[in-house]
Amino acid sequence: MTGAAMSVAPIRCLLAMLGTDVHSKGIRTLARLLRDHGVEVIYLGEHNTADGIVNAMIAEDVDVVGLSYSTATYLIHTRNLLDKMRAAGVDDVPVMLGGLIHPDDEPALLEVGVKGIFGPGSTTAQIVRFLGAVTGKPIAVDAAAAQ
Amino acid sequence: MGDKPRSEAPLESGIRDRIEDVSVKLSRTATWSGIETQPSYSPADVADLDYARDLGDPGQYPYTRGAFPEMYRSRMWTLRNIVGYGAPEDTREGIERALAMGSAGISIVLDTLSQEAIDPDHPLLSADAGQEGCSLPTVRDLEVLLQGIDVTQTDVAWHSTMMVYPLVVAMATKQGRDLSKLQGSHMPDHLQLRLAGWGEAIMPAALGHRTTVDCVEYAVRHSPRWALGCPQAYDLRERGLSAAGEIAVGMAIIKQTLRDLEARGMTVDQVAPSLAWVSAADIDFFEEIAKFRALRRVWARTMKEGFGAQDPRSMRLRVACHTAGRSLVYPQPQNNLTRAAVETLAALLGGVQSVETCTYDEPICIPTEEARELATRTHQILAHEVGAARTADPLGGSWYVESLTNRVETDALAMLDRIETMGLIKAIEDGTIESWMDDYNYKIKRELERGERIIVGVNRFVPKDAAPPKRFSFEPARMQAHIRRFTERQAARDRAVLEARIAELFLIAQRRENSHQAMIDALIADASIGEVWGTVRVANGLPYDPFRAVESPFRYSGP
Repeated sequence: MTGAAMSVAPIRCLLAMLGTDVHSKGIRTLARLLRDHGVEVIYLGEHNTADGIVNAMIAEDVDVVGLSYSTATYLIHTRNLLDKMRAAGVDDVPVMLGGLIHPDDEPALLEVGVKGIFGPGSTTAQIVRFLGAVTGKPIAVDAAAAQ
Repeated sequence: MGDKPRSEAPLESGIRDRIEDVSVKLSRTATWSGIETQPSYSPADVADLDYARDLGDPGQYPYTRGAFPEMYRSRMWTLRNIVGYGAPEDTREGIERALAMGSAGISIVLDTLSQEAIDPDHPLLSADAGQEGCSLPTVRDLEVLLQGIDVTQTDVAWHSTMMVYPLVVAMATKQGRDLSKLQGSHMPDHLQLRLAGWGEAIMPAALGHRTTVDCVEYAVRHSPRWALGCPQAYDLRERGLSAAGEIAVGMAIIKQTLRDLEARGMTVDQVAPSLAWVSAADIDFFEEIAKFRALRRVWARTMKEGFGAQDPRSMRLRVACHTAGRSLVYPQPQNNLTRAAVETLAALLGGVQSVETCTYDEPICIPTEEARELATRTHQILAHEVGAARTADPLGGSWYVESLTNRVETDALAMLDRIETMGLIKAIEDGTIESWMDDYNYKIKRELERGERIIVGVNRFVPKDAAPPKRFSFEPARMQAHIRRFTERQAARDRAVLEARIAELFLIAQRRENSHQAMIDALIADASIGEVWGTVRVANGLPYDPFRAVESPFRYSGP
């Protein structure tokens, strides 16, 4: 972590999976990579409900939410979460998606309110730039410098 | 360059870049798992190797060179084509098509809900029902799926863990079949579920391990011809283990299981002949071959020296292999055909007994018909054209392969020792093994991002303007009818019988006795998998529904 980046509160990012999906390898790796960039990760892991995520968002006062999917039902789960976020008044918190997201579904995901989609082939640098842009907080773009 | 016109320089360097980009070169001298490799190997690298002690002929202890003397000449490998999606009727249709295409047997995978023992009408999770596998919540659904198939005559392989075996036994019992003749296999390793993403919420380590021990005990005593894919090391490998790590964690699981079965009065020679190792064939060709060879040697010595096995069938490990889903990539997915073919060949040269070759579209969706057919053709090309079946252990005696076999074994035994020093269950419960897996994945990801490790299409040679891949889809109407039928049947059951069976199950599970017979009896009384497992969970002090959205429909009373 560089001294400059330490002087402001770091980005607080909640990472979670919804539904019965068990493929947690990607999101667990992302949690470590984001910590390298000075992000405070609130890692909820697999098997969350939309209500559980909304409660954690409020309790942890997060800046951004990241969801990962390997099952094809991501549109249904994500739409449901965003509905619950609106009902709880936390829909100003940007949501990003990763995992096996098919390009054909991107327009529908953006329409329900997803702010960032990082499907197969996305890099950590792209996610880091996104986090800096949507939160307006500084983030160490170079992980090596942050360590 | 300096004397050329300036305007040509960008063109010139553009061509150079393109030549650079397509060139084939050595980008890595370590194996995919990280074992450093010498430029060449000689007899000096395997000077300590003793043929009789360390290798033996194929079919001879310690089985390094293969489980059987003539290998594929006497027993061809089994081509597995795993099918599963939607309602039981959908999966049955898929099975029929796979058989028509040349699949040798029936292999079924269940949907994500059934794999977590959750019913398809769950208020928060219904959308996931029928995804990635067949929805199979009751014996009645199993009867639809396997209509006309005699499970004491036809081998059905279940690529699933939770509740599958009790469902099959319940159906066979209802049909009046002789359980001692029950054919087929499943993967009773519940402990690996805890590590492979089920997590403590769905599958607590201690309960998972006890359920494995219960299932193996019941299956060996009642259906000795039923094969048990245990350890299920494939999912562990996929989650984040090296080749040596697969051997280490898998052996730790099987050793703990055998010790606990011994405490129940069973011997290794009663249990081990029913076991088969569920393995992965990842992308590093030589390392995977070395792994299969080292694995058989470690297994043989453990069974003989550690558990006092006398039956050669206990020491002779059979391996059921699946090519590594994690090695396949989304960009330019046709390249996955090459990857899966090389992995399949490694598995065969490593001497496995069955292979399920991933379809090239695995990173995208449930396999399309076309992709499934190509996976079958891969096997046929290897069998008929390449010569993969011709002779046992064709790479045995290669200085490199023998040296690598030794190294994988040494690394595996060191990691196994670390796990056993900590205690397996504790090393799982306190997150130690998961953090090793995270370290492994993190290291690979960092190397990819730095360009120190190359995956074609991912961090180099990225295809430009690739069209999005095609997706498998199926008509959801049957799935909706399946869930409706499930709810209607729930309401039409003989409530008194059902409640009596559930009450019995609760008491037995609460006493920490083997609850398999009670689970089977409850399933025969038309309890669903969610109800049966939910009852076991409550008896173990856990919420009925791990998502805490469904209350148990039963009242439980303790002793």
